[in-house]
Amino acid sequence: MAAARTPLLEVRGLCKQFPGVRALHQVSLNLHQGEVLALIGENGAGKSTLMKILAGVQPADSGEYHIDGEPVAFLNVRDALASGVALIHQELNLAANLDLAANIFLGREPNRLGFVNDKATHLKAAKYLKRVGLNLPTETLVSDLPIGKQQLVEIAKALSCDARVLIMDEPTSSLSQRETETLFEVVHDLREQGISVIYITHRLSEVKALADRVTVFRDGQNAGDLSQKEIDHDAMVRLMVGRELSEFYDRKIHEPGKVILELDKVRSPAHPHTEISLQIHAGEIVGIAGLVGAGRTELLETIFGVTPALGGTIKVNGQAVHPKSPEEAIAAGMALAPEDRKLHGLVLPLTVRENASLASLKRDQKNGLLNFKAEKEVANEAVDQLQIKTPHLEQVARFLSGGNQQKIVLGKWLALKPRLLMLDEPTRGIDVGAKREIYKLMEKLTGEGVAILFVSSEMEEVLGMADRALVMHEGRIAGELNRSQLNEEAIMQLATGTSLAA
Amino acid sequence: MPPVKASAMKTPFTPLSTICLLTAFLLIGCKPKQDGTDASGGSQDATIAYVTNGVDPFWDLCAAGVRIAEKEFGIKCEVHMPTKGVVDQKRIMEGLLAKGVAGIAVSPVDAENQTTFLNEVAENSKLITQDADAPASKRIAYIGTNNYKAGRALGKLVKDALPDGGEVIIFVGRLEQLNARQRRQGVIDELLDKPNQKLSSVKFDAVDAKNLTAEGSKYTILDTRTDNFDKAKAKSNAEDAITKYENLRCMVGLFAYNPPACIDAIKEADKVGAIKVCGFDEQDALLQAIKDGNAQGTISQQPWEYGYESVKMLKNILDGSMPEKKFLEVPFLVVTKDNVEEFWKKKKEMAELGKQ
Amino acid sequence: MKKNTLGIFGLLIVIFAVTALLNDKFISAYNMQNLIKWSSLYAVMSIGVAFVIITGGIDLSIGSVVGLVAVVLAYMMKVKGINPAAAIITTICMSGLIGLVHGLLITKAKIQPFVVTLCGLLIYRSLGRWLTDNQSLGPVPLEGDKGYVNLELINQLDFIFSGKIAIGSFNLPTPFLFLLVIGITAALFLNRTIWGRYLFALGNNEDGARYSGINTDNMKIIAYVICSLMAGIAGLLFAFELDSVQPAQTGEFYELYAIAAAVLGGCSLRGGEGSILGVIIAAAVIRLIYNSINMLGISTHLEFGILGIVILLGVIADEFLKSYTAKRAAARQQD
Repeated sequence: MAAARTPLLEVRGLCKQFPGVRALHQVSLNLHQGEVLALIGENGAGKSTLMKILAGVQPADSGEYHIDGEPVAFLNVRDALASGVALIHQELNLAANLDLAANIFLGREPNRLGFVNDKATHLKAAKYLKRVGLNLPTETLVSDLPIGKQQLVEIAKALSCDARVLIMDEPTSSLSQRETETLFEVVHDLREQGISVIYITHRLSEVKALADRVTVFRDGQNAGDLSQKEIDHDAMVRLMVGRELSEFYDRKIHEPGKVILELDKVRSPAHPHTEISLQIHAGEIVGIAGLVGAGRTELLETIFGVTPALGGTIKVNGQAVHPKSPEEAIAAGMALAPEDRKLHGLVLPLTVRENASLASLKRDQKNGLLNFKAEKEVANEAVDQLQIKTPHLEQVARFLSGGNQQKIVLGKWLALKPRLLMLDEPTRGIDVGAKREIYKLMEKLTGEGVAILFVSSEMEEVLGMADRALVMHEGRIAGELNRSQLNEEAIMQLATGTSLAA
Repeated sequence: MPPVKASAMKTPFTPLSTICLLTAFLLIGCKPKQDGTDASGGSQDATIAYVTNGVDPFWDLCAAGVRIAEKEFGIKCEVHMPTKGVVDQKRIMEGLLAKGVAGIAVSPVDAENQTTFLNEVAENSKLITQDADAPASKRIAYIGTNNYKAGRALGKLVKDALPDGGEVIIFVGRLEQLNARQRRQGVIDELLDKPNQKLSSVKFDAVDAKNLTAEGSKYTILDTRTDNFDKAKAKSNAEDAITKYENLRCMVGLFAYNPPACIDAIKEADKVGAIKVCGFDEQDALLQAIKDGNAQGTISQQPWEYGYESVKMLKNILDGSMPEKKFLEVPFLVVTKDNVEEFWKKKKEMAELGKQ
Repeated sequence: MKKNTLGIFGLLIVIFAVTALLNDKFISAYNMQNLIKWSSLYAVMSIGVAFVIITGGIDLSIGSVVGLVAVVLAYMMKVKGINPAAAIITTICMSGLIGLVHGLLITKAKIQPFVVTLCGLLIYRSLGRWLTDNQSLGPVPLEGDKGYVNLELINQLDFIFSGKIAIGSFNLPTPFLFLLVIGITAALFLNRTIWGRYLFALGNNEDGARYSGINTDNMKIIAYVICSLMAGIAGLLFAFELDSVQPAQTGEFYELYAIAAAVLGGCSLRGGEGSILGVIIAAAVIRLIYNSINMLGISTHLEFGILGIVILLGVIADEFLKSYTAKRAAARQQD
């Protein structure tokens, strides 16, 4: 890449502040024509925020944004598209009930005096579909396509707007191995056609296969760049976490105790035809890896009684329990810090005190009356033990940062002293400091004999924290890896369902 | 190639269709047994309808007259009481037209603005009005009280109650109805010693006119408060008037439930005797108050006459004899302490009959 | 929430002061008695609907429940001559049962509260009319009624539900005592019991509450039962106060007064917010507006307009206050 050329897209000194969180601080980034730039960083490093600013979804607080060397200020997505910057969302934005042509030209239908020109629409659509390697009739309904092909339609749609920069947000997080390979081919083709791509991913192995250059983010700041020659796994991880791995994931392996949780042929409503059996011991940390949509969250929710099991037995501490609601699961000694903290974990408009005590009110009640003293103690203990940064107990939870919110959720459960703690994406959207504290807490709890079952899409987290990992694929457990077998390759193979024999 | 979705075969008993079936059974089960009233032609087996302007014991008394006439003239008459004003009344009448009733006697809620619709009814059936008229419409005739005259008679009752004059207030459900306005104007004209007006061309004072008085009159009409048929509102209106006007001497209630509400409020305020009540219609509480001397008197329209005369006139029309005059005036009765016992007895008989 | 109640209290004081200044008879003992009486009647309903609104639901059937309870009470006591105490217990149980059915349909059959209670509105109104052939009747029997034998007991009940207790020269209307007991109990329930906390939690975030081990279905059912019970008690109070029940009209549209009072009193229709004191004051403000309109001789036709504007202004002011405090809290956090 000729460094002297004007970059196609360049930002400098970008800052973005959310209530209670500094999302981006003095961030810079540049992208040349026909370049594939991988953007990596842990959860909460600021990748998503930057991408939204680039695509005009959100404005930046300050900083410069240039396209072709000209300063721009995007007020909305339409402005960004007009300048050739298109965002392919993680959750696709297609209208499932319309056909491919209609989707590609949604809102921009070729028309004469308001009447849609169907022939032109289909002809043009076919052209763009070909560019992303889709040889399908343009009359096909989007709902009839698998997710991987839908993604290609999204890309075709972006191309039809004359996009020069495609921003792809974790495009492979729900794709099979084959679909992933197809996508890679399309990205290579696009590069040949002179299209630039910003590629956000959690999968470091993809980076090497795809990227011309890597930009690493940490805690809302630039952590460094790697040229194609410099890209290797350890170098990337070092930049991402800012220190050696062993320091970050501090694990002592405990001798597993008796079985705390036992599932025998459990079927969840989300995957009614697959049976899941597993065992978790006291003092053990078990990670569940897999693609988005592999049924990991659904499994935790079934164990926790949110979506009660259709069949099979769930035993806690040797006792058969069949939680029909979280209420019953909690009574059996379970706790779940859910994936969507804001929707399921907390009651955002309530205060730190009210949130931290919500689960233990019933235990501490006096004939139905609130026990204000016990409530305060529970909240104080959570704040002290987890070092929750809040001005006071009466602060509304909404105004705390993601890390502190997650700590409130954990504090709520620790007050009940659960035997089994389930964590779903425990560090999503959390800064590095809070992350480390949560890892330390997990380690400490296992020392006290708590069994921990956690779901994570972050490869490093599974590799770093789990005593063993269960890898899920299409609703079932595709394989189990103990600590000595744990590596990224093995997990990906099981997760994408490619090497059942291995 | 895109996978083709297999379209699932629907079983005939989806929850929706089951519910539809159940609803159908429910409706069939609730339907009263009909005994062949759909034939048209001569009045012998025709059905006619009597439509009120609301729900009130007044209309039950009218129904009594309908029942008496039904037997006497051998004709079937449905009584309908709309609950929600113009809209409901229209809905009911449209239903009656659809059923093909031979004649309708109606008390229009808002005569002036219902003209078009009433004409439509008149074209498709035999329409007469009763209780309240719709002079602009093509109705065949009107059976009713001369509400202006009745209003003046009510004014005379007020004068009897307050021979030395004083402040008077009027309560009414709503003033959109012509009969309510005529009644009110009769009271006002009588108290202010205005000349008699012709019923067909009464000039009205503004609905929200306050402190109406006239040179040489001893009376002041403070205000006219409406309650839209909300009884709680009627009572609190009376209470508020007691609070606001310390020289208030007489309350005039133009709709049946107004005088009892006034009497209640006066009793609770310990003003019995200090504030007189003059009313319209014949609710028990008002008759009791007249008997006890707590109310001056009331104007009864003898509602049963409405029902009776309506059925009689429709029957005659169906038999081919049109009424000679456009207005059949039903005489009203002034009820005071002197004749209240006798009147109440008759009313009880009628009420009993009307419930059947 | 405290600030909120303060705002509506301020509104009460302002309207009160303005009316008192313009009409000196306004503050007479008699007018105050009436104001207290009507405020109490409407506040009882409003407290009930506040519970439902706090859970994020709505109850449109309140007016019809008021009507049905009043009708059934009058029918049982006057026409059927059933023991008055039994009639009162039956009607109270009936209203509770109505709430239970609402709650079950909403939580178990997962039908939207708006739909369930809208159907309730239609059904109960029609039941009352059918039961009585749409005849007006009063709870107090007259000579010749079957219930006449219980007249003495019914008169005692009439005193309990719509009497006045002389305190010096002031006659305190008994409905106020009902409001006092119900208001204090409701406030204690909401603020001092775990169930009250659960209601606020689930109103703000039902899933969040459920994931925290709260039986959200049961709590919602309880809220609907409380709401219908309060409507039932209001029905009794109205029946005795008016001495006459019209099956088609008694209580009609009262749900709107109740919801208006709850909203003006600081309940958010999004759920999770509300205070009993605020709701009571708001019910009083609404009655006060009616009273002022009469006292100041403003045309009755303008009543709804004035009421609508006051509620709208109240809610807008509340929204501004909230975003202001939110900004302040966010700013504090960043310091």
